Amino acid sequence: MNDPTIRRVLVFFLLIAAVLIVIAVQTARNLSRSVASSDWVNHTHAVILEVEALRASLYVGDGAVHTYVLTGDTRDRAASSEAIADVAEQGEIAQALTRNEPAQYERILQLESLVTQRVEFYQAVLAARQAGDIEKVRTLLAADAGRAALRDIQRKIELLKNEELALLTERDTVSYIQAQTTRWTVWAGVALDVLLLGGVAWLIRDGLAARRRAAAAMQEDNVRLEARVQERTAELAAANARLSTENLERQWANQALEHQLHYNQLIVDSIDDLVFVLTKALNISRVNPAVVHLTGLEPSALINRPLARVVRLVAAPPGAAAPLLDPIAQALKDGHDLRDQPAIVEDQRGRQIPVRFTLFPLRDRDKVVGGIVTLQIVPPGAEAKA
Amino acid sequence: MKQHILIVDDEADIRDLLAQFLTVSGYRTTAVASAAEALLVGHQDPPDLIVADLQLEDADGLEMIAELKALLPDKPVILLTGVLFDPEVVRDVLSTKVACYLEKTSSLERILEAVRRLLGDCRA
Repeated sequence: MNDPTIRRVLVFFLLIAAVLIVIAVQTARNLSRSVASSDWVNHTHAVILEVEALRASLYVGDGAVHTYVLTGDTRDRAASSEAIADVAEQGEIAQALTRNEPAQYERILQLESLVTQRVEFYQAVLAARQAGDIEKVRTLLAADAGRAALRDIQRKIELLKNEELALLTERDTVSYIQAQTTRWTVWAGVALDVLLLGGVAWLIRDGLAARRRAAAAMQEDNVRLEARVQERTAELAAANARLSTENLERQWANQALEHQLHYNQLIVDSIDDLVFVLTKALNISRVNPAVVHLTGLEPSALINRPLARVVRLVAAPPGAAAPLLDPIAQALKDGHDLRDQPAIVEDQRGRQIPVRFTLFPLRDRDKVVGGIVTLQIVPPGAEAKA
Repeated sequence: MKQHILIVDDEADIRDLLAQFLTVSGYRTTAVASAAEALLVGHQDPPDLIVADLQLEDADGLEMIAELKALLPDKPVILLTGVLFDPEVVRDVLSTKVACYLEKTSSLERILEAVRRLLGDCRA
């Protein structure tokens, strides 16, 4: 129910239903009026017919009475009585028909009064003729010369008939107007409903068009989003590949460095000469296994200790001038080699072992940061020479 | 069809890393640890390029390279080793035996460049 289109369509359908209800009510009411009008028309026609029949019976009775007067035949007498009975019966029927219509009933009663007088006249004539009192018959008929009473009844009937016909015309006009009103009500309602249905159709079409536009926009958004997702996925995949490559590169660099260090270590460890790595202050920072093997000292007893603890250069021959500075420190300071110098290594047990001493300054970008000392053991027998 | 590279190195970590990298870079690789395995691959699934270490457990790398060259004379060989050679040695000695000499401290990117160049890969 949150959809505005559905709300509008519902409003339109409510209006259409309201119009239909109005049409139905109006039509039912007019139909009911038409039925009532039709009943009244039928009733009026029945009254007119009955009055006409009364008039006809009255004339028939009048003729039959006069015939009987002339012939004196019992068959004419019977015909007269029958006609008079018909007149009485039709008068009662007319009264019964108009009993619920006071105005009509009043006029019928007036007519009936005249008819009754006329019937009484006929009965008096018939009785006199039957008694053979011709004189009385003549007197009665003479009194009725010109049949003024019958003409009076005739006028009353005509008047009554004309009034009923006028009312019929009036009712016809009313019925016509009602029929026209019903027709126009129905057509106007139908036209209004058609217009409302057109409005509903327009609303639905408009709603569907809006939905199609929204669906198209959503589709475009989806396509755009999908493209962005794919683009982002591709970027992530590329970044992932780059990271993966960088990771491999790092692992490779570490592995290669480790391999190189291991290889260098192998080389140093495999050298049979004693190798000391010195700091600039002539402290030992690293030794190879040959040093441990010869001196019997573990690396922990050598590292960060002065080189002079285990190695010393052999003093100058007696008579030679003693150097003012430690030649090893001087060589490192000056940055030059000290090659193949006689020296002594003292092992763990205090045993002194003659060696040949060589010092290479350790340079890092032309700056001396320490030194490498290699000692070659002097073979037995060569000591004196060394 | 992907080009086939034979990697010969007795160090598993180095061998696996290089194989993984070259596979990611679009090549088919076979990584072996010994000269005997390398020669077997040379017979059964001849490679388009060989990346070999110098020092192997079961043989000398240069000898193995010579045997592989005898088997696959047209296939280039990259010597990838931790043994550092002087440029003169590389120029005078190694260049006659291998198509390319690379130190193991070279970056993977540089190794890939050499591989692409030797395989005539247009990406090089």
